[in-house]
Amino acid sequence: MRWYAAQRAALAMLQLAVLSVLVFVLTALLPGDAADLRFTETLTPDQVVRLREQLGLDRPAVERFTHWLGNVVTGDLGTSLISGGPVVDIVKASVGATLVLTLTTLAVVVPLAVALGILMGTRENGRLDRAITSVTLGLSAIPDFVIAVVLVAVFSLKLGWLPATWVGGELLASPALLVLPVAVLFGRTVCLLSRQVRAGTITALQAEYVVQARRLGVPRRRLLLRHVLPNAAVPGVQELARTGDTLLGGVLVVEAIFAIPGFATALVDGVETRDVPVVQGLTLVLAVAALLINLGADLVCNRLVPRTELLR
Amino acid sequence: MRARTPLAVSAALVLIPLLVAVFGPLIPLDPAAGLPYERGPGHPLGTDGLGRDVLELLLVGGRTALGMAVGAVVIAYLVGGVIGLVAASTRHRWIDEALIRPLDVLLPLPSLLVISVVAVGWRASALAITLAVAMVNVPTVARLVRAAALDAASGPVVEALRMQRESWAGIHLGFIGRAVLGPVAADVGTRITLAVFLVASVNFLGLGLSPTAPDWAVSVSRNREGLLLQPWAVIAPALILVAFTLGFNLLADRLVHRTRRMVEAKR
Repeated sequence: MRWYAAQRAALAMLQLAVLSVLVFVLTALLPGDAADLRFTETLTPDQVVRLREQLGLDRPAVERFTHWLGNVVTGDLGTSLISGGPVVDIVKASVGATLVLTLTTLAVVVPLAVALGILMGTRENGRLDRAITSVTLGLSAIPDFVIAVVLVAVFSLKLGWLPATWVGGELLASPALLVLPVAVLFGRTVCLLSRQVRAGTITALQAEYVVQARRLGVPRRRLLLRHVLPNAAVPGVQELARTGDTLLGGVLVVEAIFAIPGFATALVDGVETRDVPVVQGLTLVLAVAALLINLGADLVCNRLVPRTELLR
Repeated sequence: MRARTPLAVSAALVLIPLLVAVFGPLIPLDPAAGLPYERGPGHPLGTDGLGRDVLELLLVGGRTALGMAVGAVVIAYLVGGVIGLVAASTRHRWIDEALIRPLDVLLPLPSLLVISVVAVGWRASALAITLAVAMVNVPTVARLVRAAALDAASGPVVEALRMQRESWAGIHLGFIGRAVLGPVAADVGTRITLAVFLVASVNFLGLGLSPTAPDWAVSVSRNREGLLLQPWAVIAPALILVAFTLGFNLLADRLVHRTRRMVEAKR
């Protein structure tokens, strides 16, 4: 376990190093910069040159990278080219809403997906299994934004039960605001996850150790919770880490639709105004989050089923 | 046996949007522009928020919506498939490592992030978005192909073929290549769905194509405030998009079950 954790953490560090280079290179390669984009209409060419000097955009890429990396390590993500404020503040301001959305969704999705998955897996090809499978298969084929548009139309525009957009205030303080966004995010994640848990349950139920445990008279409840679930959970946890990706995409779409001031809004704004430090900062934070989620998922899987190996 | 959606239904769900996307732009409609969100004669599905005919948008909008996604998956398979096959069939372990390890590093990158970074520089460029979506898919494709090919390459059949002095091409293309096709076909189905989602989300967010582009996802995004006035402007493009992804999901599910049955039959 410890050896595995150490290896896995080393891989994560390497990934982090490559990611930071990648994020920087991708953004540095971009044609044009904020100085071009925002000021050409109001400034003369030599004013643009001076501005670029001031923003440090004229220095060679390698120098900019080491400078940027040095700052990042000390927790300084640079300053926004547009607002002039520190990027860290933008990250801090937008992280809350996104975290609330993601965590609420996970809190609803994970228990339900595990329950559904075991329910389906223990009744493989039964009527209930077939019914839930068809629903999840259908639901997972509908893009998030289509679900969102339809839900908003029905529940807020037609029936007027729930707010359609964020109007200010704390997300947590007004749970009604969260209902529709979480419902949208819930749909696809629960489908993906429960199908993995279902597959894991079926495999585990057929395994020899389970058959043997059953022969020894282990009660069904204990059999499912102690013997089947840990093994069934492995594909589920791995899928959860991958779902992080789907979920993040969903969160971005949901934030845009419901006008929630989270990461997506900040990111789309940054992209639109070509505010490179902001995009770099947000991308780096999100990428680090994704890395940590993957690291955590692998460690949990290893804890559940210690035979999994890092080096395949 | 599970009762399954008939093949004809899944195929129709995939084919109708596909045919509309390919041949739609060839159908000359040229309807007169109307008022925003109008319903009435001359516009069977009404008009959208800019007064454009929805049916016309539907016929024209598939090319980007499906073309970008399908193109991305094809590119991802060309690149990732070659990497995976080479990694699996090489006898030098370091080549395998050198090809696959870097992909492990890329794997956890959130896909929308890569695409939004690309969108900073190459706004509204269909090609850039397609390449970005392809790039996001390369690591998983390479690993899938490698795993499938390794499965086949480590079996007794390949050993026997080698002992019979079968040519390199005979072993690799004739046997391993064919063995890989099963899992690949099932994966292509789900991957195209995901790519359609990704491209659609990017366009929906306004990071991809311009907000007036006649694309199905862009139409859903732009006309959503008129949903109650003129529902067809949103529902028609959404439906055709969902039909495509649903059809592909069903086909992929069918293939997964078939390969699993074949594996079980072999045992």
